[in-house]
Amino acid sequence: MDYYLSQLINGICQGSIYALMAIGFSVVFGVVGLVTFTHGEVIMIGAFAAFYAFELVGTNLLIGIVASFAASAMIGVFVYKVCYERFLDAPEYISLICTIGVSMLLKSLAQIIFGPNNKPMLDVVPNHFFGWGVVGITLIQIIVIATVAMVSALLYFFLNRTRWGIMLRAVSQDRKAAALMGINVKRMILTGNCIGCGLGGVAGMLLAVYYQTLVATMGGSAGMKAFAAAVLGGLSDVPCAALGGLLLGIIENLGITFSSASFRDIFAFVFLLIVLLIKPEGFAHKKGARA
Amino acid sequence: MTDTMLEARSVSKYFGGLKAVDSVDMSIPRGSIFGIIGPNGAGKTTFFNLCSGVYKPTSGRIVFAGEDITALAPEMIARRGIARTFQNIKLFKYMTVLENVKIGFHIRTRTGIASAMLHSQRYHDDEELAAGKGLDILRQVGLDSHKDTLASNLPYGLQRMVEIARALALDPKILLLDEPAAGMNPSETRDLSVFIKKLNVAGYTIAVIEHDMKFVMGTCDRILVLNFGKKICEGRPEQVRSDKGVNEAYFGKGMKDAIAARPGAAEGV
Amino acid sequence: MIDPSTSSAPGRMAPLPKWLKLSLCALGFAFLLALPRLCPQSYTMGVMCRIFMYALLAGSLNVINGYSGQFNIGHAGFYCVGAYCEAILATKLGLSFWIALPLAGVAAMLVGCIVAVPTLRLRGTYLAIVTLGASEIIRLIALNWDDFTGGPNGIKGIPAPLLGSFKISKAVDYYYIFLALAILFFFLTARVINSRVGRAWMSIREDEAAARSLGVEASRYKAANFMYGAFWAGIAGGAFAPYFKYISSDMFSLDEGFNILSMVIIGGQGTLIGPVVGAVIVNFLTEVLRPVSQYRSVAYAILIIVMMWVRPQGLVGASNSVLAERRLGRHRGKATHGGAK
Repeated sequence: MDYYLSQLINGICQGSIYALMAIGFSVVFGVVGLVTFTHGEVIMIGAFAAFYAFELVGTNLLIGIVASFAASAMIGVFVYKVCYERFLDAPEYISLICTIGVSMLLKSLAQIIFGPNNKPMLDVVPNHFFGWGVVGITLIQIIVIATVAMVSALLYFFLNRTRWGIMLRAVSQDRKAAALMGINVKRMILTGNCIGCGLGGVAGMLLAVYYQTLVATMGGSAGMKAFAAAVLGGLSDVPCAALGGLLLGIIENLGITFSSASFRDIFAFVFLLIVLLIKPEGFAHKKGARA
Repeated sequence: MTDTMLEARSVSKYFGGLKAVDSVDMSIPRGSIFGIIGPNGAGKTTFFNLCSGVYKPTSGRIVFAGEDITALAPEMIARRGIARTFQNIKLFKYMTVLENVKIGFHIRTRTGIASAMLHSQRYHDDEELAAGKGLDILRQVGLDSHKDTLASNLPYGLQRMVEIARALALDPKILLLDEPAAGMNPSETRDLSVFIKKLNVAGYTIAVIEHDMKFVMGTCDRILVLNFGKKICEGRPEQVRSDKGVNEAYFGKGMKDAIAARPGAAEGV
Repeated sequence: MIDPSTSSAPGRMAPLPKWLKLSLCALGFAFLLALPRLCPQSYTMGVMCRIFMYALLAGSLNVINGYSGQFNIGHAGFYCVGAYCEAILATKLGLSFWIALPLAGVAAMLVGCIVAVPTLRLRGTYLAIVTLGASEIIRLIALNWDDFTGGPNGIKGIPAPLLGSFKISKAVDYYYIFLALAILFFFLTARVINSRVGRAWMSIREDEAAARSLGVEASRYKAANFMYGAFWAGIAGGAFAPYFKYISSDMFSLDEGFNILSMVIIGGQGTLIGPVVGAVIVNFLTEVLRPVSQYRSVAYAILIIVMMWVRPQGLVGASNSVLAERRLGRHRGKATHGGAK
């Protein structure tokens, strides 16, 4: 029983990182309207940005958050210019394949620049364990969950209480109407994309801090999990995506107690396939059509 | 064998709260040219989509030659003998005219992957049928000189004829034509009317959605009028022309007296 | 002899006179037959074997993506099934290569059916993701099912094919197997494409709603198309296993899937010659970039992006098809006339 409980806690913590990854993906899809394969690499870049920020400036979590957000957001500009800007009216598969290309590009460049091996992450959070015997929660886990909660709250505030956030939501609901209201649609798409990428970057930092390691090839499975979690909400619903991430984390961690640890990644795929086959549009209420 | 080719029994289609088609009854007699008219947004194309299986009715039944086809997929309905054209012309833009028509022979041929690989007799027969009869249809329609032209390179009016030719390849019992005269000038429209009548004489039952009143009144035996998804009137052209409800739908209530005061309804205005 | 430019399919190149086409094909064939005698070095033979095998892989992916317009990016999964099937049948059951090979194709075809059928109603992008997921699940199963697949150690000592008592073990001999399979694939596929089946597939690609209104059973044909492509990928895998004599799951990763996809994207979709050109280009680049092999993927990535920007149907892909559209519903291509058929 204790074992399951501690796996549940692991699941919630890991799930919250997945939630942040999925939220980032959702924001991008909601505003751009296209699926991307680059989210995994964006997450990876955030992890490395945080690593170098810690190394060069100091192991302050806030520095890591800012660095990872900024770096990934800038990659977002690149992704927008290459994959989205000229394909907003093109057949979907063209930009999808472009994102496959960009993801390949980023992954290879990362392997060349950072080397292909695992890098140990610097100690950012001291190892404290709060618990009773086997069951408990580490300080890292608390920090991770708290960070995700805080970032999500900031996002909520931004999307619902600021002018830019409202413009973003307008563009994600109905592009033509937003344009008629005088909103600069292209700029909003760029902004939304960069914010989503930035969130992915922070998730990347959290992954590295939590597992205390990072590697240039971590993008592949990260991106797939972000997508799997986001599908639950029909890809564009942010709260549902967060829920999907939490669920995925819990299912994964409880799942490996029944099978072996090497099956971990299969759960994400099975989860994804089940949702896609039962309800491809996701479980959230459909918002207005995206024009 | 019934005398009614295609029948709609209290057919409705709701999209959420929008009643696109509301409890419409329709009966197309075998061998007739049947017109469906109504203002824009009346539900005419939705109705066609219901008859050809693109949409499933929210309620009601569609009966074709005595068989209930309500739940069938579009490809099954095509196999039963209903061929249609589309309002926005759904030609295979990047294929040639002949290639477009050849696709129409799909249900009349049976070559599968194995026969194709082995170039069996069935394969040769099917290729001959598709190419040979395809060319015949193009000659019938007067398009054989364009057989190798890319469909999108043809003028709009000819593209519509290609779509009709392609539908004829199915050897259907009934043709559903959605606004075939759209984009045609008066002389082309007259030619189309003659062509449809020739097809009718050759044995095809034809249903036409059209806006061009002259065309409809001059070509159809019976007309169904829709407005806001509801049936307003169904009958012979003279009946429809003088029907109060129809005039109100098109001209509003004020014009009623003006229409009634006009000197007698001449044919083929 | 296969002759892509006389196909009645849209996307043909400017027609060459028939005598020229036949002579070129005959010449090409004679050259390919003679090559092992002219350049028997194992390096050259190895490259040629790889090109033929990838022509088969890219070609089979092109049948799915290019001819029926579906979106499969998990082709490595079918390749994996074929390879493991042959390897297991040969090592555990001692089956002859000539029996295990077609069985490998059938196994991959069945997996293709399992993937295709539940996903028939999924829109393009979602289908793509599912194929990716399926490919990874297949790889992870191969990685973890220790008893059956050898787990992370893979399967070693896969026996070479026997022709009588002659062991086809060296690249210079195995060359003929790959050549024969590639030719068989293109010959049979050309016949399928230029038939009612191929026309049905292309009609689905161009306008599925119109195709269905003409009686084309879209779901059935899409599934059959998937299974056809999967079958040949399985054959490629089944031929690869005894050639390499050793297989393990990391040879069938998503990266390999993207590799195969690159060949189709760069060389061309919707034509028979496109994937061959793609296989040649990508393998050529692999060899040229051997000293800086980490930059290989960078090169492919840039080529893919450039192709999408400039010519989405690929270098020699179907210009007369929706694949060439760069704006929804429109494309500025040269309007050529079709070949007579």
